[in-house]
Formats: sequence, structure tokens, C-alpha cells
Amino acid sequence: MNWMKRQRLIGYVFIGPNLIGMTVFMLIPALFSFYLMFTDWVFASGQPPRFIGLDNFRMMVRDDLFAVSVKNTLLVLIPVPISIMLGFLIAVMLNNRTYFQKTLRAFFFAPYFTSGIAIAFVWMVLFQPTNGPINAFLRSVGISEPPLWFASPDTAMYAVLVMMTAGGIGYNMIIYLAALQELSSEQLEAARIDGATFGQLLRQIIFPLVSPTTLFLTITGFIGSIKGFGMIYAITQGGPANSTTVFSIFAYKKAFSFYEMGYASAVSWTMFLIILFITLIQWAGQKKWVHY
Amino acid sequence: MDAIKDRKIRKVREQLTKSFNTILMALASLLLLSPMIWMISTSFKKAIDVFTYPIQWIPTDPVWTNHIKVWTTGDGFAMFYLNSLKISLVLMIGAPLLAAFAAYGFSRIPFKGRDAVFLLYLCLMMIPQQVLFVPKFIMFDWMNIYNTHWALILPGLFTVFGVFMIRQFFMSIPHEISEAAFIDGAGHFRIFFQLFLPLSKPVLATFAIIDFTWTWNDYENALIFLLDKRLFTVPLGMQNFMLEAGVDYNMMMAAATAGVVPLLIVFFLGQKYIIQGFSSSAVKG
Repeated sequence: MNWMKRQRLIGYVFIGPNLIGMTVFMLIPALFSFYLMFTDWVFASGQPPRFIGLDNFRMMVRDDLFAVSVKNTLLVLIPVPISIMLGFLIAVMLNNRTYFQKTLRAFFFAPYFTSGIAIAFVWMVLFQPTNGPINAFLRSVGISEPPLWFASPDTAMYAVLVMMTAGGIGYNMIIYLAALQELSSEQLEAARIDGATFGQLLRQIIFPLVSPTTLFLTITGFIGSIKGFGMIYAITQGGPANSTTVFSIFAYKKAFSFYEMGYASAVSWTMFLIILFITLIQWAGQKKWVHY
Repeated sequence: MDAIKDRKIRKVREQLTKSFNTILMALASLLLLSPMIWMISTSFKKAIDVFTYPIQWIPTDPVWTNHIKVWTTGDGFAMFYLNSLKISLVLMIGAPLLAAFAAYGFSRIPFKGRDAVFLLYLCLMMIPQQVLFVPKFIMFDWMNIYNTHWALILPGLFTVFGVFMIRQFFMSIPHEISEAAFIDGAGHFRIFFQLFLPLSKPVLATFAIIDFTWTWNDYENALIFLLDKRLFTVPLGMQNFMLEAGVDYNMMMAAATAGVVPLLIVFFLGQKYIIQGFSSSAVKG
């Protein structure tokens, strides 16, 4: 008994510092925000929080920004499967089908590793509508009126999608490559001797073998996309005309432009529910295509 | 004879395919790298050369003035840099140590309530940052650390991801090693500091590098919790600089280059750890 008590004490000494930090900076804020979402509290208004039940959610559903940000949040899911597919193809190539594998791997991974606010601004200039390199190229191949990209509400989201697709490929490639390197070469060799074409080999052998990795990448990719904020917000602030306002920007604006803390909490927990919902759908759907 | 010939033909064909694939992949990687290459080349251009077409990948008349201006004008890019370095370095050392300490408790000391706490960690990991921004903003205001670097450093010290990653590694260390040390009379603290920490240098280094890049790129926390320009980190200072630069695209690219280059240096120095770290965190996690 004494030994068990001692063991328990030592255990808490080890996890204690981290546990205290987690409690202060994650658990308490999470509970606090859970409470706030049922109140109408506005920061620095001088009024104490008033309990209003689910009113914030009723207000949110009627908010114009809600519909826009749901639509945009669904749009930013598109780059995920595209960059997963491209990452997969590149990984298959870099797994014993090219020379200079390590150098190429570094080349593909570097854009992901360095992506951030700085690179977002590079994209903004590349997409500059009048003289930017992308539109200059489009004009030179005969498109006389290329899209205005970030400058127009109709096309800003497309520019965001291009930027996100390019940013995700390197990460997906590196994860697939690690998975491929753990496969036994026998299965792959057998298929090659049977005279399977490269396409058949990809679809029928390699892809099923790495399907757990694909599941991991789609789940984490969707979560990352839904949470994505910085690269979009830094260059567009959700505009023009709210055309790039995704859910995280919606929540941010309500909190830090309008200081409607109760309402903003409701918006951010809705975002959590969307993430949970999309993750659960994928988890349930995995039986159909994931082979362990 | 024919068999040998066949094998030779097949080998040549294989080499040809491999060469073709290499060229194809090299071109694809260049396409992905092109924004970064354009950024660097434009940072050395004069304003008038920025948008010339066909694109000047190597500036015909390179100048250093953009870089010099970025570092020396009043906006204090050097200051943003020092702020970022300070925060990133503190977290790069502090976060792995604190995570390792907890990871030892979670993996090597069986005690009542441990698994419940671990389950709580799993749940916390699912909550998006956005949920926590509002309450943290209010709490930091009460704690008087809003608009100080503490608002970034203190929460950054505690990571769920780090605990998971290091715990995973600790669980792979054979129990015989620590049992032998127990028999020699060592306690948990000695075993942790003298045995586990030295053994886990690679995983600690990997996590430290990943954590450094996160902190270096962290824009959201800085945006929400910092107000004074002299406290700004590189991402926030960069945004500030870009908005002020307006249409000075060559200056903007010099600033972007200044933001990306440290990451590139970290990447090429720690490539082995980084690639291993990113891949193992996914495959084994």
C-alpha cells in the first residue's frame, strides 16, 4: 500500500508540470469557452455574461457569414484529395524508380516545410492580376482575360485552393514514402513478374497496401484544412467581400473585430462539431476501402 | 547467350525508364519550388524588372538594396527576428524537456489514474485552437500577460503532441535496462536523467526541430495576443511590412526571403531528423 502511494506520488511528480500547464492553458479555457457559448457576453462591455441558452446558434444560422463560411470551408476540402493523390504518385516514383532519390525527396519536401505567411505573400504577388507572372504566362498562351484571382470575389477562392494544394503535396509524399518503404518487396515483385501494367500495379497492389496511410492523411488533411487560418487571413483578411471567409476566419472576426465573445465561442464550437462530424464519417466509411 | 542478351536489354530499358522518371520528377519538383525560386530572384531585382516577361529567373541586373533596406529601415525586421528567435529557442529547449518528463510518467510509472489522465490528453488534442483563443485572450488579460511574450511562451511549453511522440519512444526502450538500474539502487529521477534522456537524444532533437518550425511559423497566437509592434514575431512583422510595402514587390520578396531562409537552413542542417520525425510521427502514431 505504502509502495503504491509512493509510486503514485512519483507518477504525479513526473506528469505534474505538464498536467498543470495543460489544465491552465487547455482544459480550463475549453470549459470556459463551453460556458461562454451559452451567453451573450461582449468583452469589455461592462455587462456580466447573461445565460441565453442556444440563442447564439439560432443567431448564427441566420447570419449571412455562416452560409458563406460553410461553403468556403467545404471548398477548402478540395485540395486535400488532390494533394494526397499527387503526393502518392510522387512517393511511388521516389521509391526506387528514380535516381537521386534523397535529393528529390528534399526538393519536394522543402516547399511544405517552409510554407507559411512569407510564402502566402509570394503567392499573392505571383497572382497579381495586371502584371503578375501567372497572368503574364496565361496571356502569353492566348488567354486574353485571365482571372483576377485575389482581387475579385469570384476567383479569390481559386487562388487559395491552388496555394493550399501546392503546400500539401510535400507532406503527403513524405508520409507515403515512409509507408512504402515498410512494405515487403515480395508482394510488389510478384505483381511485376505476373506482367501487371504500372497502372494495375498502382491501383490493385500498392494503393490497397497503403490504404491505412491514405485514411490517416485524409483525416488529418481535412482537419488541417478546416482549421487553416493564417495563410488565408494574412493576405485576404477573409475578403474581398467575404469571399475567402472560412469558418476559422468567421470565428476570429466575431471574437476580435466585434468582441462578441459568447457568439464567437458558439461559432468555434460549431467548427469543432464540423471537424468531429467529418472525421466520424471517414472513420465509419473506412471499412469499404481500408485494408489492414 | 540469348538469356544474357535479354537481361542486358532489360537492364538498359530499366535504366532508361529510371532516367526518364528522374527528369520528370526533377521538373515536377522545380514547379513546386518555383514560387520560392521566384521569391529569391525577385528579391534581388530592381522595381522595374519585377514583372518583366518572360520571367527573369536570374536577375540581369541584381541589386542588394532590397535586402539592406528590409534589415535596416525603421520597421525593425531585425527586432522581429530577435523576438522570434527568443521565443522559438526557449520553446525548442523547454517544450521537449517538459514533454519528456511527462512521457516518462505516462510510460514507465504505473499508477492509479494515469490512464484517465492520458485519455483526457487524447480528448484535448481534438479541440481546435480556435475554441481556445477567446478564453485564453480573456484569461491572459486577467493574468496580465496579454501583449507580452509570455502569452506565447507559457502555453507553448506544454504540448500534447510532444508527450505522445516521446512516450512512444520511451515505450520502445526495453524494461531490462531500467530494471538493472533499479537493482543498482537508482530511483526514477536518476533513471530518467542519466539513462532515458541520453538515450532519447534523436527523438528529442526531432521534436525540438518540429517545435521550432511551428513556433517560427506561428502567426495566429502572435496576431491575437500581441499588440505592440516592438513585440512582433517574424510572421506578424512580415504581414505588417507587406501591408506597408504596398506595391514594392521586390521589397516584399526580400522580406519573404528573410522569413524563409532560417527555415531552409534548419531544413538542410537537420534534414535527416526532420524527415524521419515527420514520417514516424504519422506512421507509428
